Amino acid sequence: MTKGILVAAQNNDSDNYVEQACLLAMSLSITNNSTPISIMTDDKIPKEYKGLFDKIIPIPWGDAAEDEDWKIQNRWKLYHITPYDETIVMDTDMLILQDLTNWWKILENYPLYFTSQVQTYRGDQVTSDYYRKTFLNNDLPNLYTGFYYFKKDDICLEFFKLLELIINNWNLFYEKFTPENYPKWCSIDVCAAIAIKIMGVENHVINKNLTYPTFTHMKPAAQDWFHVTDSWLDKVETYVNKDCQVRIGNWLQSGIFHYTDSNFVTEATISKFKAKSNVK
Amino acid sequence: MNSNGIVVFANNNDKIDYVKQCIDLAKRAKKHLGLPVSVITDSPEYAHDIGSKVFDQIITVRTNLDADLRRFKDGALAEHRSQFKNNNRAKIFSLSPYDNTLLLDSDVIICNDHFKNAFKSNQDFLIYNKSNDLSSFRPQEEFQYVSEASINFYWATCVFFRKTKINEIFFNLVDHIEENFSHYCKVYQLRTNFYRNDFGFSIAIHIMNGFQKGEFAGIMPGKFYHTLDTDLLHKIDGNSLVFLLEKENYLGEYTLAETCDLTVHVMNKFSLMRELDKETYID
Repeated sequence: MTKGILVAAQNNDSDNYVEQACLLAMSLSITNNSTPISIMTDDKIPKEYKGLFDKIIPIPWGDAAEDEDWKIQNRWKLYHITPYDETIVMDTDMLILQDLTNWWKILENYPLYFTSQVQTYRGDQVTSDYYRKTFLNNDLPNLYTGFYYFKKDDICLEFFKLLELIINNWNLFYEKFTPENYPKWCSIDVCAAIAIKIMGVENHVINKNLTYPTFTHMKPAAQDWFHVTDSWLDKVETYVNKDCQVRIGNWLQSGIFHYTDSNFVTEATISKFKAKSNVK
Repeated sequence: MNSNGIVVFANNNDKIDYVKQCIDLAKRAKKHLGLPVSVITDSPEYAHDIGSKVFDQIITVRTNLDADLRRFKDGALAEHRSQFKNNNRAKIFSLSPYDNTLLLDSDVIICNDHFKNAFKSNQDFLIYNKSNDLSSFRPQEEFQYVSEASINFYWATCVFFRKTKINEIFFNLVDHIEENFSHYCKVYQLRTNFYRNDFGFSIAIHIMNGFQKGEFAGIMPGKFYHTLDTDLLHKIDGNSLVFLLEKENYLGEYTLAETCDLTVHVMNKFSLMRELDKETYID
């Protein structure tokens, strides 16, 4: 059984998601050197980073997000293009900061698994519902697609078929399933939650008793701060050392770090990851 | 057989008689906990004069003669400035005469036997990460984290430890943090350069845990309560304490509150002194 990470990256006018994916791949090579990572993209990957990726896969069946700024319309294709029997899908704006061997062992017990409880940078479980009102007020599974796992099997195929249908008709599905706190744009988290609700498999793909696999979610309103700023970078100091250990407010980060704010990635940070992962 | 005991620091300044507070604490410790109390002080002769019968040992330390001046409030309207000689708390590890030590601030009024359970714990280091304000309206932000985006706050007011190698490292670390506090203020985003033992202990715990959540520090048994220096201790009657708690939005007005059998950390040292002076505590 082959295992690997898969990311989708499509740059837009403001964010370089391919560069983020390269940083993610470097972090993977530092902490999980034998785990392959593949990328689905039509954007150019700089030559120096190409060796980080197992497979560079063009977006199949045309780019459904060509006219979109928030490009999630191709995400349902991941099932069909993954080169692995077992796949972890991650957002590009993440870093892998520890060995995930034990996480794979947990995940192999599930056909499909979503993180449902995320953490603050201080290691506390996020309790704020600030970003999750659509889920809570519409009784949707409170899942995150920033980090999820699937196997190549029939249940997962059904899920991704349904996800395709929902993404392509998201307004219709939102009217039916999210009348409260109706999202103004197509959200992959909401689409996936609707798919899981329709399939009635929430208890098979989420385990609220597991503290990990999870990720540290750096959205500012999730941090248990009394006064929330627009960017978490305005609130707390960051530090990346030459071994690519990340500290936020002097809390050493581990597991998966979802930095969410592209300004976290500086030239200095990229240089440290390049040096540590031997990218030249 | 390991020895158990309580140790209290009492470094008097020109306004506050910490030694006298320790005498009351020692009597209450004997009554409720059956434990001896030793005092660490820069006024050993005075401690002998007024407390030789109640203290197990009187241990001499030298304090910083040019200690920082600090503002001490006496209720919502009055305040005094005096020296705050808190610079030797980390030395407790070597100074304590006991194998198992409960370190207390002198302004803790012991009214029950909950602290006994600390000595039964299988953990070597215990501290409170939460204290309950007797007043309900005041924000607790400053006692949850050392600063809003930083690490968890722990109360150095009340700490249990055994003389283990790991704990020796911990107290050496506290000493180091105190010596280099301006650096740690920046690292931990503290908004003050004024050293507080609570900050030193909180930072040391965070480091001992490898800069993450960890299990170095266990939680002291029972609930801990406090009143701020803007409140007044009105009366001590055995295990019953009567407070005047500052009112929200009414400066200088208070709400009466009484506790029974609750150990309370009374931060208004002046009102504590006034109430102790009414008692016939001094032998």
